[in-house]
Amino acid sequence: MISLSIPSLHNALDEKSIGNMDVDENVAIEQFSVENENAIVRARNFSLFYGHTAGVKDITLDIYSRAVTAIIGPSGCGKSTFLRSINRINDLIPNTHAEGTLEVSGHDVYDKRINLVNLRQQVGMVFQKHNPFAKSIYDNIAYGPRLTGMRKKSELNDLVEECLRGAALWDEVKEDLNRSALALSGGQQQRLCIARALATRPKILLMDEPCSALDPLATARIEGLIEQLKSKYTIIIVTHNMQQAARVSEYTAFFCLGELIEYNRTKKIFTSPQKKQTDDYISGRFG
Amino acid sequence: MSMMLRKITDKSFTGLAGFSVVLIIMALAVVLGPMIWIGATAVVFKGTVEFRELQYDLHQRGDRGRLKSETSEVEKVRKKIYAQIDQFKRGIDTESLVAESRKKYREYKIFLKSQNLPDEQCDKLEDNAKEIRNTLADVYDSTDKDTIIKTLDELFAAYPAKQFEHTPVAEMLAAAHDYQTVARTIDLSNREKYAESLAEVQERLTKLLGPRPGEDKPALIMEQYGATRWDVAQKQLKMILWIEDWEETEPGKPMTKKLTPRSNQFAGTTLESFFKNLETDLPNLLKPQREFYWQYFIDDSTEGYYYGGVGPEIIGTLLFTVMGMLFAVPIGIISASYLVEYAGDNIIVRTIRICVNTLAGVPSIVFGLFGLVFFVKVLMPALGYESKPCILTGSMTLAILILPVIIRASEEAIRSVPLTYKEASLALGAGKFRTLVKVTLPAALPGILTGIILSLSRAAGETAPLLFAGAIAVGPIPESILEPSRVLSYGSYDIAVGDRYASMVPHKQFGMVVTLIMLVLCLNIVAFVIRSRVSRNLRGQ
Repeated sequence: MISLSIPSLHNALDEKSIGNMDVDENVAIEQFSVENENAIVRARNFSLFYGHTAGVKDITLDIYSRAVTAIIGPSGCGKSTFLRSINRINDLIPNTHAEGTLEVSGHDVYDKRINLVNLRQQVGMVFQKHNPFAKSIYDNIAYGPRLTGMRKKSELNDLVEECLRGAALWDEVKEDLNRSALALSGGQQQRLCIARALATRPKILLMDEPCSALDPLATARIEGLIEQLKSKYTIIIVTHNMQQAARVSEYTAFFCLGELIEYNRTKKIFTSPQKKQTDDYISGRFG
Repeated sequence: MSMMLRKITDKSFTGLAGFSVVLIIMALAVVLGPMIWIGATAVVFKGTVEFRELQYDLHQRGDRGRLKSETSEVEKVRKKIYAQIDQFKRGIDTESLVAESRKKYREYKIFLKSQNLPDEQCDKLEDNAKEIRNTLADVYDSTDKDTIIKTLDELFAAYPAKQFEHTPVAEMLAAAHDYQTVARTIDLSNREKYAESLAEVQERLTKLLGPRPGEDKPALIMEQYGATRWDVAQKQLKMILWIEDWEETEPGKPMTKKLTPRSNQFAGTTLESFFKNLETDLPNLLKPQREFYWQYFIDDSTEGYYYGGVGPEIIGTLLFTVMGMLFAVPIGIISASYLVEYAGDNIIVRTIRICVNTLAGVPSIVFGLFGLVFFVKVLMPALGYESKPCILTGSMTLAILILPVIIRASEEAIRSVPLTYKEASLALGAGKFRTLVKVTLPAALPGILTGIILSLSRAAGETAPLLFAGAIAVGPIPESILEPSRVLSYGSYDIAVGDRYASMVPHKQFGMVVTLIMLVLCLNIVAFVIRSRVSRNLRGQ
C-alpha cells in the first residue's frame, strides 16, 4: 500500500511546504486582510450559542477561495464549533442559535429560508473519526449524488471513479467496489470519506481534525491529498497538530476561548505572530 | 497479605462462577432431559399392528399386503381370546341367551318351511324345537346349579345335536352347552356381579385391541382402533389385569391405591385362565415393532389428540408468531425511532417510556383479556367481521404483548448508533428521515434483531394471550386468518388440564412441548443467522 519510508516522506513534505510558501508569496501580491472581497466564507460578528453559553463569539473573518485555511487553538476554543456552523451540522445539538452573519457564497447560512441540502452539498465535511456508512465503497460515494436524484448507472460509475481518483483511493479499491467500506484500513476509510464528500461536488471542504485518528503514514497521505485538492476546493481544516497546520495551510486562524485571536498567512502566524497569546500557543508555552 | 487475600477472592469468585454455570447446565439437563426423552417417544416408539392399520386407513401409508397378512395372523390369536370371553358370556348373560334361543327358533321355523317336508314331520320337528326352546328358557331363568345341569343333560340326551345338524337349533344347543360348562364353574347367584366385571373387561379389551371384527364401526376414530403404541397397550393391559381401588387405611389420612388381580373375581371359572393368556399372548395380539413416525410433525390429530400428529398445531403456532411479528416489528421500530430521534426529551416522552417499560412486565393473561375485550369484541365488529377469536385477533394480541420488548431493544439499538454516522449523512445533505432509514436503522439492525429474537421466543411460547383471543383445543384446520387455530402451547395446556387424556397420552403432551422447544430453537437459529449475517456485513467482513 504505502511504500514510502518515513524519512523520505518527511523530506518530501518539507519540500512541499517550502514550495507552498513560495506560492503564497506569489499569490500574496494582493494585500492580505481579514476581510476579503473574493471570500467564499464570510463571517461578520458571528456568534453561536449553546443555550446561553457562547461556543464562538463575535467572529469576523473571510476564508479565501481555493486555499487551505487551518484553524488552530486549544481544546474547547470553538474552532470545531465555527467549522460546524459553516454547514450547520451544529443543528444536531438542541438549543443552538446564532447571531451575526455567516455567509457561504454570499448566502447567509443561518437564514431561515436557506436550502440545507444545497448548502451541505456545497460544503462537504470530513470528520475526526472516519465514519463511512456500513455499505459498499460504491454506495458510500453514491450516497450524496443519489440524494440529488442522480440515478443513472453510467453517470454514477464515472462519478465514483472520479471521486475515488480525486481522493487517491482508486488504485487501492478499484478491484472490488462492492466490498464493504468497513473492511478498509483506517487511512483508506478516511480517504473514502473525503471521496464521499467530493461526490456532491462541493466548493468548500470542511475537515474536522481529519488525521487525529490516523497513524503518521496515513496522515502523510491525507496531507498529500489536501495538497492536491486545494487547487479545486476551498479547504478549511481544524487541527490540533501545529506542524500539520504549518505544512498544509496557506492561512491560519488562531482561536482561543471562542474568540478569533489572530488570522493571517500561515507563514506569518508561525514566524512572527502579532499577538502574545498566539506566540505563547505556537511556541508551546500554553495550550 | 493483601496480595494473598486478593488471590483468594479471585479464586473463590472464579470457582463460584464456574459452579453456578455447572448448576445451570445441570438444572437444564434435569428439566429438559426427561422432557425431551418422553417427547421423543411421540416420534420413535414401538407401534402395534393397530398403529399400522390406522396409518394405512387414514393416510395409505405402509404395505397393504404385509398389513393384510399381519392382521390375519393377529386375528387368529384374537379369535381365541374372544371365544373364551363369548363362552363365558353365555353363562352370564341369560337375557340375551333367551332372546337368542327365541330368534333361533323362529329362524328354524322358516328353515323348515323352506324344506318342503310333509306336514306331519314338520309339525313334529317344530314341536321338538319348541320344547327345546321352552326348556332352555326355564334353564336360563333358573339359578339352581344342579337343576340346570341335570335338566340340560336330559335335554341333550333327548335331542342329540346330530339330529339338528346345520340348523339354527344346533346353534341353540351349542349355546346351551356353553352355558352348562360355565354354569358348572360359577356361582350363579353372583351373575350380576360377573356381568358387570365382564362388561368392564370387554370395554377395556376394546381399547386394547380395537372393536371386534364384524362389529359396527364407532363414529370416533379414537374408538376405531385399539392401542397403537406398545406402552399404551401395556397400560391398558394393566387395567384389565388389575382392579384399582382407593381405600382408606386410616381415617383422616389420604386414601391409598390398592391393586387386586381381576382374575380373583373370576376365580374358579373358565375365564380365570383368560387373564394369564392375555398377558402372555399380548405380543402376538399386537405385534409391536419399532416405528419412526416422523409424520408426527405433519399429521393432523384425531379427536382429543389421541392419535396422529401436531401438524396443524405447528402451522398455527408459526402463523400466530409470524403474524404477530409482522404487526409488532414495524410498529415497534417506528415507535422506537420516533422516541429516540424525533420526540426529544420532555415529560410526555418520559411518561411514555415508563409506560413501555411497565408493559414489558405485565402478565400475559392481562394481554389476553385485552385481546378479547378490544380486538375480538370491539375491533372485529367495527371492521365488519364476525366477533369471534381468530388468528388475526390472536396475532394482534401477541403483537401487543411483544411490542414493549421490541420497542425497548430497538430504542437501545438506535441510540447506540454513533453520532458520527448520522453526522456524515446529514453533512452530505440528507434529511432526517433519509438518514434514519438509510443510515441509522441499518446500523442499528443487529440490536433490533436481538430484540426480535427475544420476542420471537416469547410469542411462540405464550399460552395466555391466545387463550381467549384465537387458540382452540379442538377444531378444524383454519382456512383463513379469520378462523381460530390450534397451537402447540395451548394444546399441551389443554391435554394437561383435560385429565382424561393426560395420563393416556403423555407422549403427546411432551411431544408438543418438545416440538415447541424445537420450533422456537429453529426460529431463533434463523433469526440468529440473519443477525450474524447483518452484523458481519456491518463489520465489513
